[in-house]
Amino acid sequence: MAFLWHQLRSAIPLVAGGNAYILALTWVTIRVAALSTAAALVIGLPIGLTIGLGRFRGRRALHILANASLALPPVIVGLAVLLLVLPQGALGSWHIAYTLKAVYVAQTILALPYIVALTAAAIQGLPPGLLAQARLLGAGRRQLSLLALREAKIGVIAGIIAALGAALSEVGAVVIVGGNVQNYDQTLASAVLQQVNDYTNYPYALGISLVLLALILLLMAILTVLQQRAGGLHLRFRTA
Amino acid sequence: MQLLWNELRLAVPLIVHGNPYLLSVIWFTIQVAAIATVLAAVIGVPIALAIGLGRFRGRRVLQILANASLALPPVVVGFFLFLVFVPQGPLGSLHLPVTKKAVFIAQTVLALPYIVALTAAAIQGLPAGLLAQARLLGAGRVQLCTLALREARIGVLAAVIAALGTTLSEVGAIVIVGGNVYGYDQTLASATLFEANAAHYADAVAIAIVLIGLILILMGGVSLLQQHDGGIRLRFRSAT
Repeated sequence: MAFLWHQLRSAIPLVAGGNAYILALTWVTIRVAALSTAAALVIGLPIGLTIGLGRFRGRRALHILANASLALPPVIVGLAVLLLVLPQGALGSWHIAYTLKAVYVAQTILALPYIVALTAAAIQGLPPGLLAQARLLGAGRRQLSLLALREAKIGVIAGIIAALGAALSEVGAVVIVGGNVQNYDQTLASAVLQQVNDYTNYPYALGISLVLLALILLLMAILTVLQQRAGGLHLRFRTA
Repeated sequence: MQLLWNELRLAVPLIVHGNPYLLSVIWFTIQVAAIATVLAAVIGVPIALAIGLGRFRGRRVLQILANASLALPPVVVGFFLFLVFVPQGPLGSLHLPVTKKAVFIAQTVLALPYIVALTAAAIQGLPAGLLAQARLLGAGRVQLCTLALREARIGVLAAVIAALGTTLSEVGAIVIVGGNVYGYDQTLASATLFEANAAHYADAVAIAIVLIGLILILMGGVSLLQQHDGGIRLRFRSAT
């Protein structure tokens, strides 16, 4: 135990003293999480809505595809993105291999299935009459979509929580497409990996781990409160 | 597309000819998935039963703890285990770092929260009267647990699916505790990472394809079991 205690004691000044390296990592991590979740929302919400509201053939197949891609290992997503963006690859002209941009792209692809699958599931779980009634009352496509999203808010926020969680915790894709370059395209999670495996610098790894845990706790708590409150008010309204 | 296509063409012979390295990685991955999932179930199901059926103080705290540990980044879990395993750490005398045993332990620890949280949630989601009735009719503790598990089977199998998925896909924890040693303690996922970082793209693609195949087979098998059982059970119950 003395060993663990000693490591912890050397880690705390790094966190409390605002170590520049850890601060920079935190900033990159927040950017990666925010950008990839936002991009996944912009792309994924319309797809989730289409699956949830649409009445076309193949929509069940799309839903199964979204659910299945939740089980896709991040390393495989990373490898596929890397092979596309390498200079010889199809998107080689973008020159984003081993850059922060590649990390954004990979994490967006990882976050997308959470948004699509959970949004679609939440919309399909709405009371059966609700959307039919809105349709009958003459709601247009836009109004219907807005209504569905508002009513399925709890599920949509659950999707955001899951997407953010993946962006904060995953290392498989980030390390492959970004190369885990220190002071450039590392996230807190991939920096822990490097500090332990390459530098055996345990105080740094521990300090970074603590910051990562705090960040996850903070973001999850805020979103959970938002989710519960949004849900609570809405439900009360509707039963009244 | 040229690059992706080329690598894919190079990858196919590696799989078809049963490359011995690939075969040994497949075998180790299956071992990890099986041992970690079974161990997590053996440890986790009793805890989940205690949370789901118990009526003691602190059981809500346990449930929240289980849910929260789902959000723990695998690298952080791996790093904490590593600190416990290193020679100076509390379990240093077991000589675990960079061994297969460390990989088994790390994946078990990662799978455990899925088993506990999802099984407990499934038991708590059972019809309110069911367990109370069994209690009144004089069911003992063992009978009650068997009944709860049987009725919550769909949720329990969902937990097993999630646990299997983690053991197959995750790299963060095992790379830290196992060191990702070529030909020794690599799983398909960590071998993909290794080969991609070494720019052996054809090998990485071959391993990735096998990993996807394995995930499809294992997940598909358990999902079939889940749907099959659930269906029969439900029909039975609504008939009585």
